[in-house]
Amino acid sequence: MITHPFVYRAPTSVAEAIEILAETPGISRVIGGGTWVVPECNRDESRPGVLVDLRRAGLGGIDVVGDVVCVGATATYSALMSSPDVARHLPLLAAMASGITGGRQIQSQGTVGGSVVAARPSSDAPAAVAALDATLVIAGPDGERRVTGTGMFPDASTSCLREGEILTRLEFAVRPAARWGYYKLKRSASSWPIATAACVLGEQPHLVLGGVSATPVHVDLGPVLARRPLTPDTIEETVRRAADSVSTPWEDELAPATYRAAVAGPVARRALEMAAHQEES
Amino acid sequence: MSTNEQVHSISTRLSLNLDGTDRTADVDPRSLLVEALRDDFGVTAPKIGCATGDCGACTSRVDGQITKTCLRLAVSAEGSQIVTTQGLAEDGQLDVVQQAFWDEQAFQCGFCLSGMIFAASELLAENPDPSDQDIRWAISGNLCRCTGYEAIVAAVRTAAVRQREIPQRG
Repeated sequence: MITHPFVYRAPTSVAEAIEILAETPGISRVIGGGTWVVPECNRDESRPGVLVDLRRAGLGGIDVVGDVVCVGATATYSALMSSPDVARHLPLLAAMASGITGGRQIQSQGTVGGSVVAARPSSDAPAAVAALDATLVIAGPDGERRVTGTGMFPDASTSCLREGEILTRLEFAVRPAARWGYYKLKRSASSWPIATAACVLGEQPHLVLGGVSATPVHVDLGPVLARRPLTPDTIEETVRRAADSVSTPWEDELAPATYRAAVAGPVARRALEMAAHQEES
Repeated sequence: MSTNEQVHSISTRLSLNLDGTDRTADVDPRSLLVEALRDDFGVTAPKIGCATGDCGACTSRVDGQITKTCLRLAVSAEGSQIVTTQGLAEDGQLDVVQQAFWDEQAFQCGFCLSGMIFAASELLAENPDPSDQDIRWAISGNLCRCTGYEAIVAAVRTAAVRQREIPQRG
C-alpha cells in the first residue's frame, strides 16, 4: 500500500495530460508503464500529490510516417518486439527490447519512453535510443519541442523534460539498411545491465556506451568507421577510442567505477564484432 | 490525519471481470492491484513477494498481457479483464501447464507459481517446442526461493510435449 495520499488521473489525450500538469505544478508525477514510478511511491521514496497515468492517452502506437518511424511514448517493449516496422527499420531497438531485465511481464509493462525519461544510467534504453539518433518529441504548455543527441540525457536520472511537459513520441529516421550491434554485460538474467554498447554503422556511424557513465557516452569515431568495412584494425582502433571516452565512470551497487572503465572497451568490441558478423553474412 | 489525507483515503469503487466473473469491490485508492485482488476481492493466488517487480509472484493476466500486479495501481485497472491462476482450471481440471507442474513436483511452497505458470503459458503459446534455454529465458522474470528451477524447467518441457499431443481448445 502506498502510504501517502494522492489523486489518480488517467487523461485520455495529450492535451488533457498537459492541462492536469498545468493545474498541479510541482506536485504531479507522470506514469508511463509504472515499472519504476509505482514501486518508488510504494517505497515512499517519492510522494507526488497527483499521479498522471498516460495509459489511456493514446500514446502506445508505432507508425511509419513518411521516412520516420514514430514510437509512441507508452509503446511497451513487447510492442517493439512484435512490430514489423521496428523489425525492418530498427532491429537494434527490437534486440534491446527482447533483452531487457524482468521477463515477459516487464516487456509488456515497461515502456521505452518511460525508460528514456527516467534516464537511469543502468538502464537498457538510453544508449540504444542515442545510437539510433532518436528525436524526442515533447509536448508542454507552450506547444511542441524536439530534443536530440546529448540533450536527451542531461544527467543521471535526470530527464530533459521541463515542468509541465510530457514525452509524446520518439522519432527515428528510416535509413538504408545498416549493420548494427548490441551487447549488454550483466551478472545474471535478472540483473540490471552493468554496461551496454550499441552501434549502428553506415553513412553516419554511431557507437554509444550505456551504464559506464552518468549518461550515454557517444564514442568519437573520427574517420575510423566512415564508409569503411570493419576489419580487425578498425575494430581495434574503435575499441581503443571507446575505452578512452569514459572519463568519469559510473559507480553503483552493481559495479565500481574501475570495473566499468575496464569493461567499456570489451563491451564495445562485442557490439562491433556482432556488426562485423552481419557484414560477412 | 490531515483533511487532505482523509479525503484521499476514502475508498473507491473498482469493477473488474475477475476470473470470468464481473466483480465490484471498494478499494483504498492507494492500493497496488495485487493488494486489491487479495484483500478486497479475496483472490489470493497472486502473492506479494518483493513489490518491486523483480520476483513475479504477483503475476496475473490483465487485459491479455501477463502483468506483475505489484507495478499497477488498483485504480488503473478499472474495467479490466483479469485472470489469476485460480481462473485457469476448467470444470475442475487443471490446465496443461498447471497439471505438468503438479506431476513434476515443480513447486514446494508455491509462492512463485503464478509467475512461473503464466510465463510458461506465454512461452508455449508462441513456441510449442521450446529448448531448455528458451524455457530458462522465458521464466527469467520470476524468482523461486525453494531452488526449484530444474523441476520447473522439467515441468514446462512436459507441458510442451503434452500440449503438442492434445488438440487445441476452441
